[in-house]
Amino acid sequence: MKLEGVDVKAVSKTFGGKAGAFERLLGRTPRGLRAVRDVSFSISRGEVLGLVGESGCGKSTLARVIGGLLEPTGGDIAFRGVKPRLQMVFQDPFSSLNGRWRVDDIIAEPIRTHRLRPKGEVAGRVAELLEQVGLSPADGVKYPQAFSGGQRQRISIARALAGEPDFLILDEPTSALDVSVQAQILNLLRDLQSRLGLTSLFITHNLSVVRLMADRVGVMYLGELVELASADDIFTNPKHPYTRLLIDAAPDLDPIDRTLHPIPGELPDPSRPPSGCSFRTRCPYAQPLCAETPPPLRWEAAREVRCHFDLTPKSLSVPA
Amino acid sequence: MMEQPLLSVRHLSIGLSRQGTQLPVLNDVSFDVAPGEVLGVVGESGAGKSVAGAAIIDLLVPPLRRTAGEIALRGDRLDLMSPRQMHRVRGKRVGFIFQDPMTSLNPVLSIGKQLKDTMRTHLRLGSSELHGRALDWVTRVGLPNPERILKAAPHELSGGQRQRIVIALALCAEPEIVIADEPTTALDVSVQAQMLDLMRLLHKETGTAMVLITHDLGVVAKMADRVAVFYAGRLIEIASTRALFQSPRHPYTAGLIGATPAPDGQGGMQVVAIPGAMPGVDALPPGCAFHPRCPRAQADCRTVVPPLVVLGTGEAACLHPLPERTAA
Repeated sequence: MKLEGVDVKAVSKTFGGKAGAFERLLGRTPRGLRAVRDVSFSISRGEVLGLVGESGCGKSTLARVIGGLLEPTGGDIAFRGVKPRLQMVFQDPFSSLNGRWRVDDIIAEPIRTHRLRPKGEVAGRVAELLEQVGLSPADGVKYPQAFSGGQRQRISIARALAGEPDFLILDEPTSALDVSVQAQILNLLRDLQSRLGLTSLFITHNLSVVRLMADRVGVMYLGELVELASADDIFTNPKHPYTRLLIDAAPDLDPIDRTLHPIPGELPDPSRPPSGCSFRTRCPYAQPLCAETPPPLRWEAAREVRCHFDLTPKSLSVPA
Repeated sequence: MMEQPLLSVRHLSIGLSRQGTQLPVLNDVSFDVAPGEVLGVVGESGAGKSVAGAAIIDLLVPPLRRTAGEIALRGDRLDLMSPRQMHRVRGKRVGFIFQDPMTSLNPVLSIGKQLKDTMRTHLRLGSSELHGRALDWVTRVGLPNPERILKAAPHELSGGQRQRIVIALALCAEPEIVIADEPTTALDVSVQAQMLDLMRLLHKETGTAMVLITHDLGVVAKMADRVAVFYAGRLIEIASTRALFQSPRHPYTAGLIGATPAPDGQGGMQVVAIPGAMPGVDALPPGCAFHPRCPRAQADCRTVVPPLVVLGTGEAACLHPLPERTAA
């Protein structure tokens, strides 16, 4: 049996909001922070689903819920086929590796824990994994401190692959790296992806990175999924105003057209989201309706978009 | 080529003392900034770009130390000044903006007090005038409710609001030049664009020159007049922004541009990695520090340290530079 897909069904995660002893005495219920609000999507087998958004949008919380590190407050995660072997790769290659362990022990740990190989074959498998991520088998005797940030991220990836995952969650795997090293890791991940056909969830704040890595892209804002479509559709024909503004806001490398496209305003306090549509306080196209009614998720062919209006690309061009 | 530069840095070297030896963190770096110019300084972590900025305002912290070089602001030698004289230059003649707004703001003083103190020290204004100017600056950096903001403490503002105040603090004493070290790196992309827009607007209004230090090539593409590229403690290329992006001459500059994920023009995305990693200052290879990663390296690159020489409209430190690409 193999993993056929991952279904994220109406997942919510609220932090706090439960009355402690003191609040109960005072008869208060704290508000709680709804970090993830009613998010649903599916990942098919072999697919890379990207999630983008700014800090505080809930993407990392959602990754931890899907990865089983946090309990959802509502909804559930269903795995089609089998319960998968799941591995995660995190942003910070400095804190995610145990500095007291040698690299070959770090990589062997998932193999030993899940008894994936007979004892005599573990060392050979570790050497194979080190080569697969572009390190030398001789590096196994060193400690993580002996390596640069990019090399440590290679070790994290080798450790994740050692668990022979059928589902891989990557949470900002290249955000702490310099651009030339980031490019190496992205190419390594793309290569592994095409060779191993891994089902994965790729979380990042960087739009170019998600466009490079993902088959489909979900855009999150203030805990909600506001648009989900194929990477091509998201970037060439975005339908949600936030998606469009976010794509335009990142400065590209064109030194001739130097126009900047800032998104007005700032992210609202996630514990006090605006009424109606969460993006309406910053949306240049907001109408009275947007403050009254939260927009439902609408389906349009293979795309989902959470906006009341059907805005054509032209009307969405950013006012100068 | 350039008229009297505003800021002139000549043969600047910075060493890191470790166990009695000096490691070269910055090696023989020279560049000029013209009045009103925005010079972008790019490079990866450890390339020396931030220490170069800190050295200009004499804010190097031991074990880092300037070991050689001259720094002149309108002909005044900053490198010869006493700490007391430098204290008067910082803020008044050279403003600065750092990545983390909390390092530039005093957490226990109100925003108004910090703005007024800075202007009182450097501009010698009366208190009623100070208040008016402080209000004016809060408005100019785009914050609503200026009276309330002046009374607020830094922690009562959002990250974006704080960075706006840091920009106001850097500019309120009307400096001749601002050193901005990763001013938008800690911000989200939507707020980053706001801050760049604001810096550009104020730059136009005040005519203050700027050294903009960043690892983000997109930021310099939009903001800088000229760009200096640092690698392993050396300045390896400097050119107008347009020339640098359209026709990089140093293979490292070309590699850095290629390593940034970008549309490939055929509907896909591409990224070309540079093999290896930048060496640390304690493990610099002989010859050109980039040669172990360079696709154009030849035998002489392993022995000769290439000097920065004029190439076309810019300068590059490479023995086998890329040919000039004419605009397509």
